[in-house]
Amino acid sequence: MRQKQLRVILTFPAAVDAMAMESYGAAHQVPGRLIPLPSAVSAGCGLCWSAPPEAREAVEAAAQEAGLRTGGIYELML
Amino acid sequence: MKIEVNAMGDACPIPVVKTKNAIRELNGPGVVRTAVDNEIAVQNLTKMANQKGYGVKSEKEAGGRFYVTMTIGEGAPEPPEAETCLVAPQDGAKQRKVVVAVSSAQMGSGSEELGRTLLKGFIYALGQQDQLPETILFYNGGASITCEDSPALEDLRSLEAQGVEILTCGTCLNFYGLTDKLQVGGVTNMYTIVEKMTGAGLLVKP
Repeated sequence: MRQKQLRVILTFPAAVDAMAMESYGAAHQVPGRLIPLPSAVSAGCGLCWSAPPEAREAVEAAAQEAGLRTGGIYELML
Repeated sequence: MKIEVNAMGDACPIPVVKTKNAIRELNGPGVVRTAVDNEIAVQNLTKMANQKGYGVKSEKEAGGRFYVTMTIGEGAPEPPEAETCLVAPQDGAKQRKVVVAVSSAQMGSGSEELGRTLLKGFIYALGQQDQLPETILFYNGGASITCEDSPALEDLRSLEAQGVEILTCGTCLNFYGLTDKLQVGGVTNMYTIVEKMTGAGLLVKP
């Protein structure tokens, strides 16, 4: 069975921001990927950025550099 | 301290009950290794361990024997009182056979960009389920999802590594010029696609 891992989750208020993060992340090698919002997090547009916990600052910085609107940041076992 | 639990041949909730009793018997840090003979029991025990924050790993041996090893740390909570089947067996010990059919590179109709993002998310979420599908079929526009440059390859390889059968329609690969670009799973034909679909306990089409 799949083993859960600690991930940092960045949420967005709108799907277009999440999708823009995916484009920006691919272009700038931002660690992580776009995934559906885990059920444990209720706020957000339904998509979020998931990354290893050590990449938390890099992810936050990337979203800011890209000029994206963001929601909360969480650490979850996924 | 280490306790070995034999729950071979036991149906839910007996493996969970036996394991909980062993954890109580530890009365502190230690290891409990439970032998079971079905995947449902492995899932139930793993869920219980995850809920309580115990370390857990499972391994499969030849002959259909599984070992679930829980490591209970200092100050870990007691196992739950309720003895429930967290994953209910269906049709006796057999789980419902789930087949997923992907017929397009998008999920739903509307925005193509959103549809591609949704399908990628759907395949990711499939891999997060407690019960994985038995087979995922890809045909027509969905055939590109198993081929080079697909954003879902990593998730599909992970599903395949966990035992999910991934099959792509050979006619479709040929039609779209993708025959040499298949990256994950095998090639199939219409007879097998029909056999898989009609034999499914649940057919899921995103």
